[in-house]
Amino acid sequence: MHKPPRAHPPLPRNWWLKHRFFIAYMAREATVLPLVFFIACLLAGTVALLRGPDAWQSWLGFMRSPPVVALNALALAASLYHAWTFFQLFPRVMPLRLGKRAVPASLMVAGQWAGVLAVLLLFVWLFGRA
Amino acid sequence: MTTKQISIRRYLPERDDAPFWQPFEVPVDDSTSLLDALHHVKESLDSSLSYRWSCRMAICGSCGVMVNGIPKLGCNTFLREYDAEIRIEPLAHFPVRRDLVVDMEIFLEHLAAVKPYLIDDAQQQEATETYRQTPQQLARYRQFSNCINCGLCYSACPQFGLNPEFLGPAALTLAHRYNLDSRDRGKAQRMPELNRHDGVWSCTFVGFCSQVCPKHVDPAAAVNQGKVESAKHTLIALFKG
Repeated sequence: MHKPPRAHPPLPRNWWLKHRFFIAYMAREATVLPLVFFIACLLAGTVALLRGPDAWQSWLGFMRSPPVVALNALALAASLYHAWTFFQLFPRVMPLRLGKRAVPASLMVAGQWAGVLAVLLLFVWLFGRA
Repeated sequence: MTTKQISIRRYLPERDDAPFWQPFEVPVDDSTSLLDALHHVKESLDSSLSYRWSCRMAICGSCGVMVNGIPKLGCNTFLREYDAEIRIEPLAHFPVRRDLVVDMEIFLEHLAAVKPYLIDDAQQQEATETYRQTPQQLARYRQFSNCINCGLCYSACPQFGLNPEFLGPAALTLAHRYNLDSRDRGKAQRMPELNRHDGVWSCTFVGFCSQVCPKHVDPAAAVNQGKVESAKHTLIALFKG
C-alpha cells in the first residue's frame, strides 16, 4: 500500500494559550523570571559588601526604592506559587514508603509547608530582633 | 427527541488537499455518547466519514479524538456534557490520514523501543513454573499497567507536539511499569532509552497527560519517577567507571 511521508503537524507558537491548564503551566515556569531579578539583587549586595560601607549604603538605598521592592514582592509571590505547585507534584515523583505502607500524599504536602513555616519562623527569630 | 449540532473536521485527500469543517445535526438523549453520534453520521447522514472504534467501553483505546481541543475517547464522552458547540477533530500531534483517522506509527515505534514486556534473560525458573508476586509487589506498578494505548496522552503533550522523537508519556510509563515489576530483569536494557534526551528528560511535567488519561494511569508521575531512576542509574554508572 502507498504510504504518504510522515508529516507531523507543527505546533503553533500560541499552543499554551489554548487551555487554562497550559496557561497555569507557563505561569509556573515563568516564576523563574522575577526570581532571576532577586538573585541579581542578592549578588549585587554581596559585591557591595566586599567593596565597602559606601557601596553597601547605596545598595541598601537601591533595595528600598519602590520599583525594586515591588519586583522583589513579585519574586516572593512567584516563589510561593512555584512552591505550591512543586509541593503538589512532589508526592507523585517521589512516593515515599514507611515500611510496607505508602505515605499519604496529603501528609507529604503538609510536611513541606511545615518546613516552609519552620524556615520562616527561624528568619523572624534571627532578623526580627534587630 | 432533541438534536444537537456537532462539527467534524473532515479530510478527504483524494477530494481536497485541505481539511474542512462539516456540521451534522444528530439526535441526542442522556445516554448518547460521541461515538453513538459518529455512528449516526456514518449510518444516516454521510457514509464517507472515517473514524476508528471497536469496543464501546473504554477498553480498546481506538476511538480517541479531540473534542473542543481536548483529547477524549469517543465512547466515554457524552453529548449531555456539552451545551454549546461540539467540535470534533482527529487526535492532535499525529499526521492525519483521513477524517478522524491518524497515523499512530511513531507511537507504536516508541512503545516497542522501551521493550514493554517481562525480560528474564537469566531464566531463573523453568518456563512451566508460575511467577510468584505478593500484593505489595503488585501494588508498586499496578496503576501504571492500566494503560490501553489510546494515545490521548500524546495529543495532550506539548513536548511530543514539538518533538515527535520524544518517547512520550505512554511509552515511558510502560517502561517504568516493567522496571517496577518484581518478575522483570530488563531494567538495564531499558535505561539507555530512558536516559536519552528524547527519553524522560524531554518531559517538563506539564502534567496534562495525566488529566486526559481515561484510565487514571497518571503517566506524568511515571515519567518523572523515571527521571529519578535515570539520575540514579547515571550516578551509579559514573562511580562504577
